Amino acid sequence: MAASTKLLFGSGLCHRLGQLTRSLHTQPARLSSFRSSKEVQSLEQYPEVEPVESAAAWKFVERLLPPQTVPRPVAKTDYPSGWQPQKSDGSESGYFVARTKNHMVPVYLHTRFRGQRRITVVRRVQGDIWALEKDLRAVVEQARNGKLCATRVNELSGQIHIHGDYVDVLREHLKAKGF
Amino acid sequence: MLKNILGKSRQVWTPLARGLSKTSTQSNVAAESVVTASTTKPATLILPQDYAECAPLNRNATRQAWIENTDAVAERKVGLIELHPDVFAAQPRVDVIQENVEWQRKYRYVSMANTKTRAEVRGGGRKPWPQKGMGRARHGSIRSPLFKGGGVVHGPRSPTTHFYMLPFYKRVMGLTSTLSVKLAQDDLHIIENVDIPTKDAQFIKDIIAERNWGLSVLIVDKDFMFPENICYATDELGYVNLMPAFGLNVYSMLKHDTLVLTVDAVKHLEQRLLYQLHRNDATSKGGKFKLDQV
Repeated sequence: MAASTKLLFGSGLCHRLGQLTRSLHTQPARLSSFRSSKEVQSLEQYPEVEPVESAAAWKFVERLLPPQTVPRPVAKTDYPSGWQPQKSDGSESGYFVARTKNHMVPVYLHTRFRGQRRITVVRRVQGDIWALEKDLRAVVEQARNGKLCATRVNELSGQIHIHGDYVDVLREHLKAKGF
Repeated sequence: MLKNILGKSRQVWTPLARGLSKTSTQSNVAAESVVTASTTKPATLILPQDYAECAPLNRNATRQAWIENTDAVAERKVGLIELHPDVFAAQPRVDVIQENVEWQRKYRYVSMANTKTRAEVRGGGRKPWPQKGMGRARHGSIRSPLFKGGGVVHGPRSPTTHFYMLPFYKRVMGLTSTLSVKLAQDDLHIIENVDIPTKDAQFIKDIIAERNWGLSVLIVDKDFMFPENICYATDELGYVNLMPAFGLNVYSMLKHDTLVLTVDAVKHLEQRLLYQLHRNDATSKGGKFKLDQV
């Protein structure tokens, strides 16, 4: 008795499994290729959707959606993170360092040769890049206790490369100058 | 405007706006504003730039451009448009423009150069002479690469594809750089629309001569369905080409002497390129190009 029920149950399970695998294999998997995804059918084939009538209710959905573009920072007098908005437009210094789209100062560290060579890169420089390079080199040399520092200027792409890891020094300096 | 744009783009998420694409809703608004402006004040079509959504990262001054008429050969300034500095006054990265051009030439190029190896050259199956006793060098086949008429070692094998994808943001930068270069070189003209009054090709020729548009002209509109008149008028002219805004590319912009954009196309390009420059999920566009991706 027990054996027969087990068999029945087993056969039923097998049947279900067979159905499942058949449905999996006959239905083309909607993968990312145009070959395997189903063609778009007429609108009647799809489940009915109810249009949202009240715009008042839709705003609750809207606030759950992530913003598509980077929002503008909220204006405050003081930011606990130490971030500060850009103040200078570069008119008095003759050069300008643009913020990134995430409103950060574009100073980066490039490491090469397994960390043996560290290059600080200041990007998005506009205007008189040579004046900025002179200023930044003075800042770095002060941080190095007067030792000379090697720099490289790419005027076409608006980048300054400085030998050594001076990311924090330069970022704070640029922020202090209002960039 | 940020809220406005986001609101519009979010309409796409609602089931109501299922059939509409984001860009079409966007441009309808722009087109409506143009139409209303032109009907109420036909003489002045002033389209200022709204920085509420995308503040310029760039400190270059806003570029202004005249909007020209297309209803007659004689040039008339219909209005003035302010162009976003991040799109039309970007740093002219000639290196990135060159990379874009090289990519556009290469990615569709398949080299058909082919040479035969020693296995593919006809014959050469038997040993030309015995290994020993002839006083000659030992050889196993007359099609060996050492032989005249033999196979080629490491020769080109067809088909050799040169496909690769340029990084996404280099393509974006190529577009902004080239648009900026074209504008700075006075090779970019903005027209109110592409509704010319006649099907005659002479009208286009006259406009080009009258306005010094040079040897070749690329006319770009937002919509991919161009009006009948301009299609007929430019059909016979190989040096005047029509292109929808989604097809705009660095190679074509450089190939043609003059780039002529409609107001709708300018608004559309600005909106799309600024979205790419400010989008939150920009890292999703990095990474390796996969052939299967949608």
